[in-house]
Amino acid sequence: MFEMLDTEILGIIALTLRMTLLSSAISSVIGIPLGLWLDSAKFPGKKLVVTISRTLMASPPVVVGLVVYLLLMRNGPLGFMRLLFTFEAMVIAQVLLLIPIICGIVYTASQRNSERIQTFAITMGANKRQTQILLIKELGNEIFFAVITGFGRAMSEVGAIMIVGGNIRHHTRAMTTTITLLRNRGEINQAIFLGIILMIIAFGVQIIADFLRKRERRTDENY
Amino acid sequence: MKITDIKKSFDRFSLHIENLETTTGKIHGIIGPNGCGKTTIMKIMAGLIKPDSGDVDYENLSSREFTMVFRKPYLLHDTVIHNLIYPLKIRRINPDNELVEHYLEIAGLQDYRNQYALGLSGGEQQKLSLIRALIFLPKLIFMDEGFSNMDIEGVAFFEDYILNMQKTKPMTWVIISHQLSNIKRLCDYVYFMHDGKIEAHGEPAEILQDPENVNLKRYLHYM
Repeated sequence: MFEMLDTEILGIIALTLRMTLLSSAISSVIGIPLGLWLDSAKFPGKKLVVTISRTLMASPPVVVGLVVYLLLMRNGPLGFMRLLFTFEAMVIAQVLLLIPIICGIVYTASQRNSERIQTFAITMGANKRQTQILLIKELGNEIFFAVITGFGRAMSEVGAIMIVGGNIRHHTRAMTTTITLLRNRGEINQAIFLGIILMIIAFGVQIIADFLRKRERRTDENY
Repeated sequence: MKITDIKKSFDRFSLHIENLETTTGKIHGIIGPNGCGKTTIMKIMAGLIKPDSGDVDYENLSSREFTMVFRKPYLLHDTVIHNLIYPLKIRRINPDNELVEHYLEIAGLQDYRNQYALGLSGGEQQKLSLIRALIFLPKLIFMDEGFSNMDIEGVAFFEDYILNMQKTKPMTWVIISHQLSNIKRLCDYVYFMHDGKIEAHGEPAEILQDPENVNLKRYLHYM
């Protein structure tokens, strides 16, 4: 089975990991503060913004892919950047998909817990900065869950990256788009093999993340 | 501190406190039936709720010099020791080992110092929140049913501890409790609230013995 692990497949795995990690990181950097801000901010039309954000959480990848395609196509508003069918285009599409997901999870968690955390911080005499730090620390589990969910979504995504990346060999071919291609060609065994690797990577990342999280919490559960 | 002519309205409830004053170094009790506004007035005093009108005069007391202990304590997602030293940490005070040991000992938590605080039993969590409030020696402590989850022995121990502490390092306390025994034992002055108003106040022996107020009489009858 492992003879299937040739240079091309390894290249595809590396590109997928690079793309997923980069898009998850960028989306987290934007989505986490956005979710926290959305909870604490008061402005007219906030309910509408929250509803739009929740709708975007479930936006179909092909639609996001199409929007990015239209933006980046030669005659599109951002066509001059010549990013269509590149690695960067795939990352942009994924970031647009992940931001609402990460922001939405963080917003919901913050909405549920921030009042208690902030009340506690005030009664302890914490200043604004210390309260914000505490809020992020205390929402750590939920923020972690949001990032992992985003990572999982990025890892399994096909539609958007297929449209904006074009599934070009040695260039923009990711694991999921390769699986689709192999299935179309009838090379089911290779498709299954790649699928298993994808699952192993997702599992491995989850294990590492869980380990790091546990270590950070320094837990030693009592009864 | 002193509050004057405080008004606060909610959908089905309104509060009007004409005058409530604390005396430095004394323990004040607020009693009254459920929903009479005890917690609301305490939160207003602690700066957690803004009144619709009226005046809260802290008399040169800064927000870092008072704290509040809740019926359902908020514990950080961290170890017992990190919970305990949090108020010191945010004040950039290096925790003195002896002091930390002393407080862990009075709460009976020496053996749990490195355990996850949320794994403690309800009573232990309550004790932890109480010693956490005491460790930075605040000038004013608000305690909303702070003994509620403790066993009788624990309550008696903390009552003794507080009374002893009042002799050496007197703090100003405002306590809400449904246990008349706590009020009688600890308080120097008692306020009785009913339907959003203070209907009687005075020294415990004075107002709890043979009250003139009908509502207080009825309240004490069922206690």
